[in-house]
Amino acid sequence: MPLDFNQVGQQIKRMGGDLRQTANEHDQLVATAWANLEKESPRWEHWARHAEENYLRSPWLLAAPAEPITNRYRLPKFAPNYCLAAVDGSQIDLDRHWAVECFLINLGLVTIQYGQQPYSKLHSVPALHYNDQELLLRDKDGRSYKMAGALVHAERDTREGIALASLAQEILATSTAPLVAMQDGTLIRWSLSGLDPWVRSHFLQRYLDQGLAALRAADVPTCSYISHPKAPEVTGIARLIAKPILNNASKAEGIIDPYPGINDTKLFGNGWLGDGERSALFKSLSKINVEEYGEHAIYFFYLNVGAELARIEMPEWVAQRPEWVDLIHAVAYDQAHRGGGYPVALARAHEQAVVRESDRRVFRQMIEQALWHARLSNGSSLKQDAKAQVRV
Amino acid sequence: MQEQRIGEVIEASSTQWTTGAYELLNAPPFGSLIKAGCYDNDLCVYGLVYDIRTGSRDLGGKAMVRGGRRYDGSEFYDDQIYSEHPDLAAVLQTEWSALVIGYERAGRIIHYLPPQPPTVHYSVHLCDDNTVHRFTQHCDFFRMVLHANLPIVDELLGTAIRNAAELQANRREYELYAGRELARLLRDDYDRLRVLVRMLTS
Repeated sequence: MPLDFNQVGQQIKRMGGDLRQTANEHDQLVATAWANLEKESPRWEHWARHAEENYLRSPWLLAAPAEPITNRYRLPKFAPNYCLAAVDGSQIDLDRHWAVECFLINLGLVTIQYGQQPYSKLHSVPALHYNDQELLLRDKDGRSYKMAGALVHAERDTREGIALASLAQEILATSTAPLVAMQDGTLIRWSLSGLDPWVRSHFLQRYLDQGLAALRAADVPTCSYISHPKAPEVTGIARLIAKPILNNASKAEGIIDPYPGINDTKLFGNGWLGDGERSALFKSLSKINVEEYGEHAIYFFYLNVGAELARIEMPEWVAQRPEWVDLIHAVAYDQAHRGGGYPVALARAHEQAVVRESDRRVFRQMIEQALWHARLSNGSSLKQDAKAQVRV
Repeated sequence: MQEQRIGEVIEASSTQWTTGAYELLNAPPFGSLIKAGCYDNDLCVYGLVYDIRTGSRDLGGKAMVRGGRRYDGSEFYDDQIYSEHPDLAAVLQTEWSALVIGYERAGRIIHYLPPQPPTVHYSVHLCDDNTVHRFTQHCDFFRMVLHANLPIVDELLGTAIRNAAELQANRREYELYAGRELARLLRDDYDRLRVLVRMLTS
């Protein structure tokens, strides 16, 4: 049945009014948070230490400032003569209702060079996995894990990082323009946090060793771009300043949040950063970043790209080189402008990688045809058939 | 001389086909004679170029305005837009339609519909002067163009005749020959004939 827009319309109207009131309250909270952050900004080293010592006890996600908290940087002067490597991925997950168990990972790889010798190369690399070795992960104790759902997602993330390193190495062999490697989304593999330690390590170590370490060895400024970020880590510093005494008991009991509903986008999105300006650098204190990333620990800054606030992440070995941070600042802004608000190279990588519903249908038909040619049963489950067709 | 390979067939029927250009914006002029290959190697199909267009490769994609002032104050327009956005060459595609006006088999040109349409993904070549001269020696293809259900057939035929006439040793004689053929085919449609004759003589 179609949606009853009469009823929904009234609810949406009510929602608009409520949100306006919440926004007014949030503006007040953000103003208070900035007043405290400005006051404590010169003591950034103290708060960095305090956050690093307490990130496990804190009920809120925290970041450690790498410089005075309220530092801001204008868009660096920049001649747009650079090469950008970008990767994105998508997958067709294993579906137990299908006639055959398999999954597919499709990576979109993009090279765009600007300046004196402009060129672009866009392509995608699909990989189908169907045999037992690929469908089951086995740890040293013989326990097995089915490659489905979160694990296929983790495999895709890992491959994106490795593919970005390979693409950057290929470009370096032929181009002399300054190269930047960029990924979509976060470099912190949050999604691995909830997995079994062996499984987490299986994906994360490959990502760090063959992805970030390879990029470091190739001396490539590497970053990721997060559009419309929801992270609350810098706001976490403001919360820590407001409630500096933390202990495990307070976490269990739940300290009252001094800035409810505020995240970093709300914090930095109130005009604090002008068009093209970036924030100070911060180190993420998410558990997986602190405990497993080692020399690749992820730092970030916020950037006002004009149309929105973006979060730019980079490994520690990039954050430690100011000329690379400047280059990434300028390239991220330039890319967002060329792409109408979102980096054009990432948009192109997504277009290469995305598997649309029509592609999924063709993929499924091809598999059924292959099974038919091999004289194998192509019977999918009746539940799957029922979902594919509305019977009236 | 080898004829220039300019694209490949991306959609085909017995009466017309679509060519995707190998190089963005590089389409043959309206009314040019082109030929497309078939999986039947003996056969090649001839057509006249019409409806040249450039747009997104992606279904539903749409080009957006990109020129103007950059954030650094510089301005860029026209070909500079393509330099500023090198990815456009990979996401835009130039293509054109061709009206089928004959075919060639075993070295013989025939001004009728071919037994098979061009094959999708086979090469499309721009015909050289020699081939245009050979193909347009006779006017039998006029009938196929005039009877095509397209809004631009008169302009298409007029352009094709003018192109053919330019390659003739005696241009005036060819125009008279073409004019007589048009008068025969359009004897019941004086207005249309007048427009076409004016195109030939202007």
